[in-house]
Amino acid sequence: MKKIFLLLFVFLLVGCEKDDICDANTPTTPRLVIEFYDFNASTETLKNVTNLGVIAPSFIEGIGFNGVNKIQVPLKITEDTTTLRFIQNGSDTNITNDNEDILKFNYSRNEVYISRACGFKTLFTLNTTSPIVPTEPFSSASSWIKNIVIVKANLENENEVHVKIFF
Amino acid sequence: MLKYSFSLLLLVASFLGNAQEVKVKDSIKPKTERYGLRFGVDLFKLTRSFYEKDYRGIELVGDFKLTRKHYIAAEIGTENKTVDDDRLNFTTKGTYLKAGFDFNGYENWLGMNNMLYVGMRYGFSSFSQTLNSYSIYNPNPYFGQAPEIQSGQKDNGLTAQWVEVLAGAKAEMFKNFYVGMSVRLNYLVSNKKPDGFDNLYIPGFNRTYDGKFGVGINYTVSYFVPIFKSEVKPKEGKKK
Repeated sequence: MKKIFLLLFVFLLVGCEKDDICDANTPTTPRLVIEFYDFNASTETLKNVTNLGVIAPSFIEGIGFNGVNKIQVPLKITEDTTTLRFIQNGSDTNITNDNEDILKFNYSRNEVYISRACGFKTLFTLNTTSPIVPTEPFSSASSWIKNIVIVKANLENENEVHVKIFF
Repeated sequence: MLKYSFSLLLLVASFLGNAQEVKVKDSIKPKTERYGLRFGVDLFKLTRSFYEKDYRGIELVGDFKLTRKHYIAAEIGTENKTVDDDRLNFTTKGTYLKAGFDFNGYENWLGMNNMLYVGMRYGFSSFSQTLNSYSIYNPNPYFGQAPEIQSGQKDNGLTAQWVEVLAGAKAEMFKNFYVGMSVRLNYLVSNKKPDGFDNLYIPGFNRTYDGKFGVGINYTVSYFVPIFKSEVKPKEGKKK
């Protein structure tokens, strides 16, 4: 009987290992998903960006996208606004062809419980009035972005498109 | 019905009379089975309260022998546990009651109450939970990771109910003093969760997992209080 005691005790100690790793497939804090479209096409046509650089003001490191029509950009989880510079041809080495548009995203945040392993996530909802504010109007000749359409104001995961940019 | 009961009583009385006769002839001391209440305390929870800073708990256990093999059993306890995980820190406080039965599979010598048993319990817990702090999971920390957020959100009036199946042993170490242990598999039947959070620890049930299952253990010392003795009737086949 004492052997059984000991065996059960050892078994239980071994059973108490930590097993809390947040699964990568779990939807956590989403990024803003932007899809790019051709402004001049009569019907909605996806258009690839070339060497698009996205960088926050005063940041040295940015995020580069090339040959894609769908990108994900991060929003600040500690503030209700995020300003990002969208630089056409910005991620290449040539700085003479750069064309920069600055967009300010206004949103509200909601912290939602996920699980023991993942903790909480931040979900964003773009404001109904002026959700995205450009520093120069889209009509201006120097602006490469010609129009922006909000597809889904509440960001829940990255498997959905939130914003369409026409250029 | 009354007539039958009466004749049954007569029959039993005649058996008792027989047994008496046998015993007198053999001049052997009557064989007796002791019945009583055994109560004790869970040492596992008690010692954890000393060596684990974030844990306070106590569990009182008791069982009562109904027949040679069947016992009714119960545990009552209180726990106060703070869990500090990588992304969450919360405190659960509450009390619980478990009641059920044990089935003893151990063939005792007469007068002994050792057990190798399996059993079942129905558990009920009433508790509160405080979310002390949490962090936001952000897989793309371009703007840096956000600091841990202090919350303090407290949810009262949480409840959970579950079923336990258990296996264990109890052995008499000294006269009427027993040590025992049991391992338990728990299955949640109901679980009232707080809004926007989860019950990650339930007093009595212990840690919850993604599914409805949980595990438990206890080490007990208990004292047996004999309440009455019953004479064991010799089996028919053994009569000489």
